[in-house]
Amino acid sequence: MVKIGLYLCECGPNIAEAINLDKIAEQIKKDNKVAGIEQHKLLCSEDGKKFLVESIKKNEFERIVIAACSPKQHETTFMEVMSSSDLNPYMFQLVNIREQCAWMTPDKEAATSKALRSIRAAINRVRHHDALQQKEIDCNPDVIVVGGGITGIEAALRTAQKNRKVYLIEEQKLGGRLREYGLLFPTMQPAQEFLNKKITEVKNTGQIRVFENSKVKEILGFFGNFVATIENKDREEIEVNAGSVILAIGANPFIPTGLAKYGYGTFDDVYTAAEFEKMTSSNNITTKSGNPPKSVAIIHCVGRKRLGYCSKVCCTNSMKIARYIKEKLNGVKVIQFYKNLCLPDKKYDEFYKKTKEKGIEFLRFSDIEVTKEANQMMLKYKQENDNEDALPVDMVVLSTGLIPNPKTEDFAQMLNIPVDEYGFFKEEHMKLGPISTITEGVFIAGCAQGPHSINDSMVQAGAAAGKILSSLVPGRRLQLETKTSYVSETMCIGCGVCVDICAYGALTIDESKRISVVNEVLCRGCGNCASACPSGAARHRHFTTKQITQEMIEILK
Amino acid sequence: MEEKTLPRILGFLCKWCSSTGADLAGVSRLKMPASLIPIRVMCSSRVNPIFVLKAFLGGADGVLVSGCHPGDCHYQSGNYYTRRRFAVTKKIFEELGLDTNRIRLSWISASEGQRFVNVVTEFTENLKKVGKNPVKAEVFL
Ligand SMILES: Cc1cc2nc3c(=O)[nH]c(=O)nc-3n(C[C@H](O)[C@H](O)[C@H](O)COP(=O)(O)OP(=O)(O)OC[C@H]3O[C@@H](n4cnc5c(N)ncnc54)[C@H](O)[C@@H]3O)c2cc1C
Ligand code: SF4
Ligand code: SF4
Ligand code: SF4
Ligand code: FES
Repeated sequence: MVKIGLYLCECGPNIAEAINLDKIAEQIKKDNKVAGIEQHKLLCSEDGKKFLVESIKKNEFERIVIAACSPKQHETTFMEVMSSSDLNPYMFQLVNIREQCAWMTPDKEAATSKALRSIRAAINRVRHHDALQQKEIDCNPDVIVVGGGITGIEAALRTAQKNRKVYLIEEQKLGGRLREYGLLFPTMQPAQEFLNKKITEVKNTGQIRVFENSKVKEILGFFGNFVATIENKDREEIEVNAGSVILAIGANPFIPTGLAKYGYGTFDDVYTAAEFEKMTSSNNITTKSGNPPKSVAIIHCVGRKRLGYCSKVCCTNSMKIARYIKEKLNGVKVIQFYKNLCLPDKKYDEFYKKTKEKGIEFLRFSDIEVTKEANQMMLKYKQENDNEDALPVDMVVLSTGLIPNPKTEDFAQMLNIPVDEYGFFKEEHMKLGPISTITEGVFIAGCAQGPHSINDSMVQAGAAAGKILSSLVPGRRLQLETKTSYVSETMCIGCGVCVDICAYGALTIDESKRISVVNEVLCRGCGNCASACPSGAARHRHFTTKQITQEMIEILK
Repeated sequence: MEEKTLPRILGFLCKWCSSTGADLAGVSRLKMPASLIPIRVMCSSRVNPIFVLKAFLGGADGVLVSGCHPGDCHYQSGNYYTRRRFAVTKKIFEELGLDTNRIRLSWISASEGQRFVNVVTEFTENLKKVGKNPVKAEVFL
């Protein structure tokens, strides 16, 4: 008979005072299912661990049950003890008699009886445990960055280091949207000065290989081992290998062609903010007639309703444009037509105050229309109090938001990551994993994930870089999840049910055998497939039907 | 003794949210009846309807399935499958003429220690009214 050892932890007075451990030992002894029972004051202490190793070896126990605290607290501690005792760490079950019994049951007898039941269940379970091997794979520390805007540039700079190459793949030229900007909020620094410094840094960092005018044709593989096929500027195909991927393909400004009331595409001097940026970067602000405008209206939130979300950067950007015009053209009148000011950064409030100080007017409207009367553009608008008014202007700038890059969907499909309701890449978790995706090793940063300022985009790039630097270390092998699922070849009927439910694409049908197979690198061990499989072929290691059922039987006895 | 009169509840708790929430209840020294014994699974989606039926046939007075709140499953979408499977389980219970008050699905997050206690206490009180499991077949499928 397999030799099971049971250890009862007193946890100082924590467990000993709330549960009658002697009674438990006595009962278990009567059950005659374990080879030995030991009790200790503090099993997780250095002394306790030493005691465990010696006792396990001396008694030649083969499987161990420890009744102590929550697995959250000390499961790994005791798994290490198992290894030190030359036992497989999975031949072990921890019973939580502290949090789940001692600490929540005022009646000692009830606590003791609940603990006894739980311990019996663990003893019954552990006899069906299988030894599991920690699997490791070689991994590549190099990084693929798709998109060479400010986000991609920053991500490349932060990940490149000795022993770690970065492939920075850009469809056009390095720089992204910033290549067309004049000044940057909130610093009012010239955009090109800021950008060129970053690009020089990229060129000076030997570890970054830049592909400009290049396309990503395909990315295959998984965390630790991705292969990308790149079509370079000479239309040659090049393969690169890397362990992780950062998607920084940015976003596009919304073009308000469909929104007739703004006169975009109808009247000459109506521009989007992005188009206006182009003019400022060439330092030439004139109307189509060749004269500088005497009055400029900037309309906020254009398309906001259509898009369904606030783009966070347009309000501050409108003020930046206003300040630029005010400084450039003497005596010009600049009016901001806004609905709600969005200032999502502590620095932006100050920016707003400064903008007002410069004599720029702010007008809150509820409705607006751009018209033309006798060669003069007129803004007809309704104020909040329903008063209607009209204002002649020479130029109108439409502050539109950012919409997803149309390529987002292609990458999402290629790498099995979802997109959100608006079409941006969806993060793994809004709070817990804002730059991770459900595909391990694939990160999203900057405007590819949703509208962000340059600063926020760079912070995300840094966060993605941090994740990569800490999880893929040169020379270290990647440890895989051990409690994965597997498919029994003889039981599987190839129905494909499991393939559809796995959130990680870990299951595929092997066409030659017509059965399902698990990719152990992708499987995260949730056990969903084991519940879904109609033929009992998909099995969850360490949570097999047998193990769970045996645990249940004892609890219910 | 209290234990004899208490209903016997089996609780499937996912590791990431509900188990952590349940442990927080203990850490916060919240008190609850000793009616429920937890079984830890990685995700609530591991809970096959057959487990629930087996538990019931094995004499459980009640079965609680608990996972992360919708949208918070550590494995993306596991708990949506749990929800669907639970609905199926309920249907089976109805078809068999069993009392669906004996099974319960609750979302309990890692920070909801109090909620865990409330759910278990309330479920226990309900089960006292429903009474002991009439099947009580000691046979296991
Ligand atoms: C009008 C306007 C003005 C703004 N002004 C400011 C400002 O003053 N200050 C501020 O903080 N923020 C400003 N923003 C926000 C700013 O533009 C973004 O924060 C910034 O562009 C984000 O950089 P990114 O690298 O994520 O995306 P992008 O700048 O869009 O860069 C994405 C890059 O990816 C490349 N790419 C796309 N698809 C592929 C593909 N399939 N393969 C390879 N490469 C690809 C693109 O060519 C591009 O180079 C402004 C936004 C707008 C619309
Ligand atoms: S192992 Fe857990 S229960 Fe035992 S002394 Fe340490 S903390 Fe307390
Ligand atoms: S255990 Fe979960 S992650 Fe692994 S194959 Fe099954 S469903 Fe996919
Ligand atoms: S659900 Fe089960 S039987 Fe169907 S393909 Fe998957 S492992 Fe095979
Ligand atoms: S991990 Fe908690 S329900 Fe899936």
